[in-house]
Amino acid sequence: MNEKTDPTEFPQAVPVPKKRMRLSVVWFIPLVAAVVALGIAVQAYLSKGPTITIIFKSAEGIEAGKTHVKYKDINIGQVSAVGLSEDYSKIEVTAKIDKRAEPLIVKDSKFWVMRPQVTLSGVSGIGTLLSGNYIGIEPGKSKEKKLKFIGLEVPPVITVDQPGREFVLHADDLGSLSIGSPVYYRRLNVGQVIAYGLGKDEKSFDIEVFVNSPYDKFVQSDTRFWQESGIDLSLGANGLTVRTQSLLSVLIGGVAFEMPPDAAESEPAAANAGFKLYSDRTAAFAVKEKEIQRYVLYPQESLRGLSVGAPVSFLGLQVGEVTEVGIEFNPAAFTLRPRVEIEVYPRRFVAHLSDAATAARRPRTPEERHAFWQRLVDRGLRAQLQSQNILTGQLFIAFEYFPDAPKARIDWAKQPPVVPVMPGGLASIQDKVTTILTKVEKLPLDDISRDLKKVLETLDLTLQDVNKMVVRVDGEVVPDVKKTLGTLDQALQNADKMLVRVDGEVVPEVKKTLEDLQKSVTSAQRVLANTDAALLGPDAPAQQDLRDALQEITRAAREFRVLADYLERHPETLIRGKAQEKP
Amino acid sequence: MKPGPRTAAEAGLVLCEICGLLSRPANPEEPGHCPRCDGELAFRRHHSIQRTWALIVAAAICYLPANVLPVMTTSGLGGADEETIMGGVMLLYTTGSWPLALIVLIASVMIPLAKLIALAYLLITVQRGSIRNNRERARLYRLVEFVGRWSMLDVFVDTFTVALIQLQPLMAVLPGPGVLFFASVVVLTMLAAETFDPRLIWDSSTERTTQNE
Repeated sequence: MNEKTDPTEFPQAVPVPKKRMRLSVVWFIPLVAAVVALGIAVQAYLSKGPTITIIFKSAEGIEAGKTHVKYKDINIGQVSAVGLSEDYSKIEVTAKIDKRAEPLIVKDSKFWVMRPQVTLSGVSGIGTLLSGNYIGIEPGKSKEKKLKFIGLEVPPVITVDQPGREFVLHADDLGSLSIGSPVYYRRLNVGQVIAYGLGKDEKSFDIEVFVNSPYDKFVQSDTRFWQESGIDLSLGANGLTVRTQSLLSVLIGGVAFEMPPDAAESEPAAANAGFKLYSDRTAAFAVKEKEIQRYVLYPQESLRGLSVGAPVSFLGLQVGEVTEVGIEFNPAAFTLRPRVEIEVYPRRFVAHLSDAATAARRPRTPEERHAFWQRLVDRGLRAQLQSQNILTGQLFIAFEYFPDAPKARIDWAKQPPVVPVMPGGLASIQDKVTTILTKVEKLPLDDISRDLKKVLETLDLTLQDVNKMVVRVDGEVVPDVKKTLGTLDQALQNADKMLVRVDGEVVPEVKKTLEDLQKSVTSAQRVLANTDAALLGPDAPAQQDLRDALQEITRAAREFRVLADYLERHPETLIRGKAQEKP
Repeated sequence: MKPGPRTAAEAGLVLCEICGLLSRPANPEEPGHCPRCDGELAFRRHHSIQRTWALIVAAAICYLPANVLPVMTTSGLGGADEETIMGGVMLLYTTGSWPLALIVLIASVMIPLAKLIALAYLLITVQRGSIRNNRERARLYRLVEFVGRWSMLDVFVDTFTVALIQLQPLMAVLPGPGVLFFASVVVLTMLAAETFDPRLIWDSSTERTTQNE
């Protein structure tokens, strides 16, 4: 078969243009975008720290997505959700903490909500006014991790890294203390109150204080703590003494501590050691009595104003105090009588005795002591309720001598022994006052007032009459007076006229008479000149007689003056005659 | 099916996209340059579908951080607040101005997303050679192109605020990383809309009619 084939008989191959599977450069863009986005995602995942849950009582000021968690004012996380706890009683705050802050979230870390706080001791969290509240954290020291916390309601005062020590004070009441109240050592602020709560016995308070280093070493086993009210007023023989702490403690109070002056230096107390918190400085430093004797009194008067702790004094010096005030029931006689129990500190007596030798001779055995007391009672020593303060009616027990008191014996068999009592001074004063009041009551006050009223009425009437009379005088007499005055005026005018006439008619005649008189005088002068010669010559007898007479008269005059003087001093002699001089 | 009008490519002619001159190509493989304006000629835009896809994918990737990361950090006296776009929407809504919230939500969240979906839809239909709803798809494309420029509003607001509010230390506004991604989304979708050749929408129908003949 030699058959030529026509190439056209073969099917034509289909030319297929080569598809260039070329990736465009433009794909680089999504690649870059993907890498960047992925990078951000990875970074976000890596920087994601723990998510913690904190339980608070209230969500006040906490907002999901807004509220931050801050440590030393640095953001370390953010609240991501706020919700109620399962039993709806609390708030659960979920917060995301940054990776870098993860080491801070340990078992004993503390969380609290930082709010603006204005207290007397200072202002804190002012920044939160603008930024909103935030959650504060105080990292713990534990290594253990934890993701669920119970938040504190109040920010803790002390941060962990502050050197110093905590102590626990036991007090009957909290006083004006609160968290942040200052702690003073010799008036220097060296710490603060960091917490308080009821003690284990639920009767007293346990107050935790933090004392900064280095002052914490002054807290030793003997150190006394007391509540510092700020002002300490005392009225003594020297006048008023005012001791104040700083102004701050005057306002907010605080705790002060000091060593008693006579205490020996010892080791600093251990951290968290317990101390008693006294109510004031005096109480804190009061000497603890080592020797105590108990006695009972049965006063006969009312015990109003006598309280436990009232002083027992011996001749004005305090030697003990009242420990019990009550009423004793005697079932046999079916009587009730007041009963007062007192403590007496014999050491105080010794302390008051100045002489050491006398002090050494004080009674030691019970028998000696009994005899000693009995001798005092024999001399008239009695207990008496006396008034401390007449205004408030406070009473105290005084031991004083009443020599006239009836005889008494102390029965030492009874425990505690009974001390004889003298009815109180206050009771007698009350009696007197009552008597006076009774007398006053008896006064016929009603009668007196009635009489007084009558008198006043009469006086009123009289005054009215007088008034009437004056009016009448005014109406009737005054016109007459006026008339009289007119007549007087006329008379005066007449007198004036007459005087003028006298001037004209009488004066010339008088002149003539005077001239005649002049003449007579001149002749008389002449006569006298002659007489002069007769009488006043040196050897004139008349002269001599006259001088004798004059001397006589002078003597008489002197006598008379003596008499006059005497009469002046003793005018009664005119009547009674001159008194005979007493021998 | 009713055949569409003849296209320039069918007639062996090429249209300059810049000056609009219809000319004969130098050769079918490489049409050469426009005799009038010297712009490069192409029957269809080069690798239009592939490029558009790339840009859309990139935009989609950026869309996520744009909405998750904060766009703005306001630091006041007490601390700093970081705001995301959705956070801003929620803030506006909760403070009572819901119309504003709606505007921001539509302009900043929904429109970029809608653009991405619309472009993806156009690309898929073109690749599958769909011939239906040509006019609607063309309208959609015009809409996407028109809306693109307005999406930058957010970025402008952000930059203005950052530039104006610098009252240190009382208050300061700083841009967040989210705004960068947001701007990328907008720019990428705009570019994607630009790269997409709308003439591809009709090409399929022309091919179909040619095959049917």
